[in-house]
Amino acid sequence: MSEQLPFFEIRNLHAKVEDKPILKGVNLVINPGETHALMGPNGSGKSTLSNVIMGHPSYEVTGGEILFQGRNIIEMEPDERARAGIFLAFQYPVAIPGISVAKFLKSAADARFGQGAIKASEFIKEMRENLKFLEMNEAFLNRFLNDGFSGGEKKRMEILQMLTLKPSLAVMDETDSGLDIDALRIVSKGVNRMVGPNFGLLVITHYERILTHIKPDHMHVLIDGQIAMSGGPELVKEVEKNGYDWIRARFGKEVLV
Amino acid sequence: MTTVQLTPEAAGLPGFDETLLARIGGAAEPALLQEKRAAAFAQYRELPMPQVRDEEWRRTDPALFPFDRFAPSPRLAPVPRALAASPWDEEFDVVVCVSDDGFSIHDRTGLLNSGSLVVLSLADAATRHPALVERYLQGAARVKAPRKFSALGDAFWTFGLFIHVAPRVVVPNGVLIRYQHRAAGKAVLPHLVAAVSDEAQLTIAEYYESPADAELLAVSTRELYAGRNATLRAASLQEWGARTYHIGEDWVRAERDARVEWVTLLLGGQVSKMMVSCDVHEPNAQAYLSGLFFANDNQHVDQRTLQLHSAPHTYSNLLYKGAVKDQGHSVYQGIIDAAPGAIKVDAYQMNNNLILNEGARADSLPGLEIDADDLKCSHGATMGNLDESQMFYLRSRGLPEAEARRLLVMAFFEEVIERVPHEFMRERVREDVRRKCGEGA
Ligand SMILES: Nc1ncnc2c1ncn2[C@@H]1O[C@H](COP(=O)(O)OP(=O)(O)O)[C@@H](O)[C@H]1O
Ligand SMILES: [Mg+2]
Repeated sequence: MSEQLPFFEIRNLHAKVEDKPILKGVNLVINPGETHALMGPNGSGKSTLSNVIMGHPSYEVTGGEILFQGRNIIEMEPDERARAGIFLAFQYPVAIPGISVAKFLKSAADARFGQGAIKASEFIKEMRENLKFLEMNEAFLNRFLNDGFSGGEKKRMEILQMLTLKPSLAVMDETDSGLDIDALRIVSKGVNRMVGPNFGLLVITHYERILTHIKPDHMHVLIDGQIAMSGGPELVKEVEKNGYDWIRARFGKEVLV
Repeated sequence: MTTVQLTPEAAGLPGFDETLLARIGGAAEPALLQEKRAAAFAQYRELPMPQVRDEEWRRTDPALFPFDRFAPSPRLAPVPRALAASPWDEEFDVVVCVSDDGFSIHDRTGLLNSGSLVVLSLADAATRHPALVERYLQGAARVKAPRKFSALGDAFWTFGLFIHVAPRVVVPNGVLIRYQHRAAGKAVLPHLVAAVSDEAQLTIAEYYESPADAELLAVSTRELYAGRNATLRAASLQEWGARTYHIGEDWVRAERDARVEWVTLLLGGQVSKMMVSCDVHEPNAQAYLSGLFFANDNQHVDQRTLQLHSAPHTYSNLLYKGAVKDQGHSVYQGIIDAAPGAIKVDAYQMNNNLILNEGARADSLPGLEIDADDLKCSHGATMGNLDESQMFYLRSRGLPEAEARRLLVMAFFEEVIERVPHEFMRERVREDVRRKCGEGA
């Protein structure tokens, strides 16, 4: 990849939902092989940012660009973005009764890699292997997608999808929230399997806990729709200890004065 | 026969008169059948022709049926093989094939020789088992008076099939009935009578098809009966071509401790007007009624259901799901009717509708008629479009919009499809639904 073509870059991104501006000029660069953490108070716009990256139709981009592999993806449909290699692990995955996990995964894999690109037998083998890796029962394959799943099962299902679709950029929106220690370990294990020189990751979280399993190279704090502070992994501890008020205060001065 | 002057309203379909009755029934048929036909014909004449001002026909104008374009088909005679064999046949003990050429009954597993299972044309059954035919034809399953089109079917059926399972016999693989009609301009009137005796078990699968370009009228009547502690499972897949018109009048009755599961799948046809009535007739009888309808292009589907609880301690559970697309129009009307004194009744009725675009229309009229207290009765209907958050979820995994839409429509119907007893039929319905959702990436 040439220096001129960023792998993933958000430039001065503005977005609103129902006429309410939420993102107010977000800038972020993720290079291949990097893991970034994003923290921020509730309502600061973290999920909005994830949804806008994925192309959710309820969010209107009012300015700025999202560049992925050199291309502005703002005009791309959500499914085009997914097929290009972007993945979002949802904070609240929806249930779809009537579609089995197996059918869903096969349809998604066919969409991403091309119909018939993977042999059915190969696919099933890989599914089984991934399930085992995520310590999930094979019976999941026949269950309806997220239907009646516990919080932890839903989050593991998100990671199973990530492993299946092999994205090059993934955003995890509070995947760790509500997970017990065991589930967190398993989810992290799944994510770390993806981490590598050709993979960029944005981990949105409230807690330091997950970042002891998935080690970030960079850390950002989102406050009121803007990145108020960026730093190294050491920033995580500071936020965990002191909260966001000091950042808000400092950022407020820098920006407003 | 009475010679009353018929008002236009009391008139019948053109061509369905004494002359036809003599030709279709006539001296060639056993006296029992002639009598039954004559009685039904008298009722048919008495009943008024439905009018659009009738509450039941308000949303399905009888004029949608171009009755004057159809001539009655002759009564079918046995032939060695009415239809080519199908891979589906292999899953059944007995296969009945019905076409314009005639009908054939194929005993695949020798069960018909054992005497425990009867599958005969009504004419043969009337000769060989007159007492049974007397009991079940226009008989035990029907609880309420005939209606115009059930009387029409009773009087003029062009193919009658009689199925009887002896007490305590479990028919392992059941009976498949395949109808394929192609003669344009014909009216076909299949009549099915199936009785499952006490403690016996039977599964029936029916399949209807016609070519897309042949204009046909079908008036089907069914009388299904489950004796004490019997189990009857039935599924009918209607895949008529786009120019076939269908009126159906069906009854099923469940006696004490019996269990009836009935799935009706309406996918083809131009205009369909179907009535499914179920009587849970004695204590602890259970009925599970399920249905799927999908009207696209300019299809019109009118599905009525009646859950009749004529005894206390009876159970019925109904789930009908419909989708409309393009200029399609569906009507669902359901009634739960608990007889006076029918306490401890548990009745459930649900109709879910999916409206896939503007211009498509779905009407839903769930209802109760209850004369008893101390019962549990609930009904409901939903109307909706595809769920936006589910759409986004699928698209975020790479599925193009049209494919995501197809998957969600299939998912919507899956709850009903799962209740179809045979996998080949489930798969077929999924394919039909997928096709009706339309092509496009
Ligand atoms: N679909 C939506 N409709 C209306 N308001 C929304 C929607 N999504 C987010 N918001 C609003 O945008 C703001 C940011 O929300 P969100 O992005 O979910 O924050 P975070 O994930 O950081 O907690 C909140 O005020 C929230 O109410
Ligand atoms: Mg959030």
